[in-house]
Amino acid sequence: MPVPGWVFQKPFLTSACIGVPWFAAALLTVYRRHARIVGCIAAFVSIVGSARLVADAPNSESLYPALMLLFSCLTFGATLLLPRRDCTPITIGGILFLLGSTLLGYSTENLLVLLAAWILSAIPFLWAGWLRADAWRPLAGLLLSTLALALAIGFISTSTGVISISSLKGQNPGGAAAFVLLVTAVIFRKGICPAHAWVADAAETGPALPTALLLNGHFGALLVAKLIVPLFPGTDALFPVLSYLAIATALYVAIRALAENSPRRLLAFLALSQSACILSGLESRTAEGIAGAIVHWFVVAISTVALFGILRLLEVRFGENLTASKHLGLAEHAPRLAVSFVIFGLALVGLPGTLGFCSQDLLIHGALTSHRLIGLLLPIATALNAVTFFRLFTRLFLGKRRTGFTVKADALPRERWILAAGVLFVVFGGLFPNEIIIQRSSDATLVREAMRGAEGLNAIGTVDGQPARRPITAYR
Amino acid sequence: MTFLHAILVFVVVAPGAAFAILALLWMVGWSPRERVVSWLTGLTFLGCTLGVGALAWIMLWSRDRSAVVVTFGNWFGVGDYHFPLVLIADHLSLPFLALAAVLSGLIGHFSASYLHRESGFLRFFLLLHLFAFGSLLAFASGSFDLLAAGWEIVGITSVLLIGFFQLRAAPVENGLRVFSIYRACDIGLLVGVFAMHHWAGTASFDHGFPNLTGNQAFIACLLLLLVAVGKAAQVPFSGWLPRAMEGPTPSSAIFYGAISIHAGAYLLLRAQPLLARSALGSTLVILIGAATAIHGTIVGRASSDAKTSLAYATLTQVGVVFMEIGLGWKWLAVAHILGNATVRTMQYLRAPSMLHDYHQMYSAIGTKLAPTGKQFEELLPERVQLWLYRWAFDRGHLDTILDRWVIDPLLQVSSYFARHDRIGMSWTAMQPRNTAPIALQGQAKQGSD
Repeated sequence: MPVPGWVFQKPFLTSACIGVPWFAAALLTVYRRHARIVGCIAAFVSIVGSARLVADAPNSESLYPALMLLFSCLTFGATLLLPRRDCTPITIGGILFLLGSTLLGYSTENLLVLLAAWILSAIPFLWAGWLRADAWRPLAGLLLSTLALALAIGFISTSTGVISISSLKGQNPGGAAAFVLLVTAVIFRKGICPAHAWVADAAETGPALPTALLLNGHFGALLVAKLIVPLFPGTDALFPVLSYLAIATALYVAIRALAENSPRRLLAFLALSQSACILSGLESRTAEGIAGAIVHWFVVAISTVALFGILRLLEVRFGENLTASKHLGLAEHAPRLAVSFVIFGLALVGLPGTLGFCSQDLLIHGALTSHRLIGLLLPIATALNAVTFFRLFTRLFLGKRRTGFTVKADALPRERWILAAGVLFVVFGGLFPNEIIIQRSSDATLVREAMRGAEGLNAIGTVDGQPARRPITAYR
Repeated sequence: MTFLHAILVFVVVAPGAAFAILALLWMVGWSPRERVVSWLTGLTFLGCTLGVGALAWIMLWSRDRSAVVVTFGNWFGVGDYHFPLVLIADHLSLPFLALAAVLSGLIGHFSASYLHRESGFLRFFLLLHLFAFGSLLAFASGSFDLLAAGWEIVGITSVLLIGFFQLRAAPVENGLRVFSIYRACDIGLLVGVFAMHHWAGTASFDHGFPNLTGNQAFIACLLLLLVAVGKAAQVPFSGWLPRAMEGPTPSSAIFYGAISIHAGAYLLLRAQPLLARSALGSTLVILIGAATAIHGTIVGRASSDAKTSLAYATLTQVGVVFMEIGLGWKWLAVAHILGNATVRTMQYLRAPSMLHDYHQMYSAIGTKLAPTGKQFEELLPERVQLWLYRWAFDRGHLDTILDRWVIDPLLQVSSYFARHDRIGMSWTAMQPRNTAPIALQGQAKQGSD
């Protein structure tokens, strides 16, 4: 029987990618069995739909479908990697709800829908008894970021009467107030200093893998790429401030991590520091910086989710009182988990032979080109992160064996295969990076053009007193 | 691609391929027998040695050929920035390629019996292959970009081998210390490569950086010198070298007797066009080399174990090599490196059986050896001797200085940040999750998580 053509149309595929995970999440509230299977099927449908969207999208419009594919794959992997203890309908339902909301945020072109996606993605982490952390700062961070975004979108829509993002490009809608509110939303959601503490609290006291997924939705970077860069080219002079904040966060958090002994907090700091680099790359105005930031987005997302997943597996097997203050010698019991951990970690901090090396190389070149002195802090932060990661690895996996525990507790087949897939991606991506980077360099060119469009615009989006006529086509 | 190109690619890629095969097989659950590993290692490095030999032979006989260059285009690139993937075998890289291939094979052969039935046998050989790949890549790279990639691989394998005896805390902690110093110094390489791209438009060796002004050449020299000093354990970063002796003897031999410790000198040899344009840069290289040579010879005299003595002896010679490079005596430095690397590797490999060797010698000559005579330091006044002994005993106080002025302040700042982060954390009680370790309750088994 022939498949009807509308099945392969963008609206249907996008709806399926978003709707199926939501439907599965709703299903799990009534049908509370086979949660992992339901989760995997729903995530797989999103993977297939996103893959089709990526294949159909022209090169210049493939960024968001690619991000949808990435997040669907991450959710699929996380669902497989979840230990049986955590694999409850509530957790899987929360993960699927997050998947649908995140994909909605990636795919939308409407301000109100973006706000809805932003709120929906935070709901499982605000709702007591769902995925909420046992600390107040994550709650405050998410709520404040939501409030800031809601106010910004309120300003924009009331001042222009338009809610379509593509119609607002280059118009500086809502003026400086909207811009500041959007930056505030980014700062709170992304955990940029001084609002960084909630990320570590969420990782420490919340469920590990869902929190990693929340962080790796990178809604802060999404807001920069989707709204701030294309809508506010007139605030050209203010962009570097965001970049400086991001670089300062990368360094501050890297230094902060040196004296931390909780593995979860350490990983959160590493993820935060490395993902702050994404913002500085996006703002760097150089093709290599922006392409590096986008590729780094992929590397950070995959590595961080895998690292949190492995850490959770270790907690389940060896007890949740793991610490980086002494050597635990877990490599003897879980050698494959140790190897996967070190590969993902070194990819995160830019070891050659992994995709992280290429993204870091591009990022550092971009940052140094645009900010000669401040940019120097980025390689310093990366070096500190590498030391912190290596300390965590040596403390968890090397040293004396744990007494009283003699059996192997290595990766199970399902864990092994999904970790191997991630390792293959970061390693083959590192050996043959051009295939990935070329895809993203067209996005980089468009972002750069959007930013350079600001050179002919003044602060209210006009050229020589006339409204800007040249539409900036980046980031539909 | 010509036959020579294929040989060069094979020489560089073969150890990497062997590493990939062994690692993938292990990841899917197959642990190869020791004999299989040692045979694969032997074949790989025999192939590499023959390949380098063939390259050298052909280049020697065809007088018009100054270098074999294999260009694969760009590894990756965006906009105007490209990462060129160029391998080169010229008169400078060929001796180093030969050194790396031959010594890696030798170490592989030695280790097959030295590490027999050691629990980390496969791990050692995996890291040896990865190290050989990294060093061959660094020596055969046609640009500083690719050299950086090989450089980092050498660094991480070096650190993982220092922590080879992972059940003891000391090797692991020392590995972490070495890793920290490597990473700190490697910032110079990242920024140096950026500077070359920015000012000269390229980081390839063949251009000679003619566009750079004197100041720019000096800054580039300074950055590359930081990297070279870190990797070659020159003053003031010499403190990590005795810590690195915690690794198994074969890895100490190839890393700190031969390849890794001389990689810094190779980097400076590649940076000769820059050094030639910066008198200040050359002077700095000479001064650092001289300081290291003096430091190495003094500290080596107070070292109480064979490997550390050898490490400082190597360090002294590398200091002299740095001076030769600073003075522009390029080929003397190359000859010095080859000689030093070969002799030190042999000495390191014999170090574990030194007592046995001495006993054999004593029984052969029928008595103990006569003392070798007065040491130079005995010519100094007693007060100076004591001061020098204290200096040597604490290894020049270099680690103490690093701890007191860099590491401790950094940790204090980190603790200060941590205190600030904790403000408000206790406003709500953070509930500890289930802390009962299943494994310790004896309930753990595969698949029951």
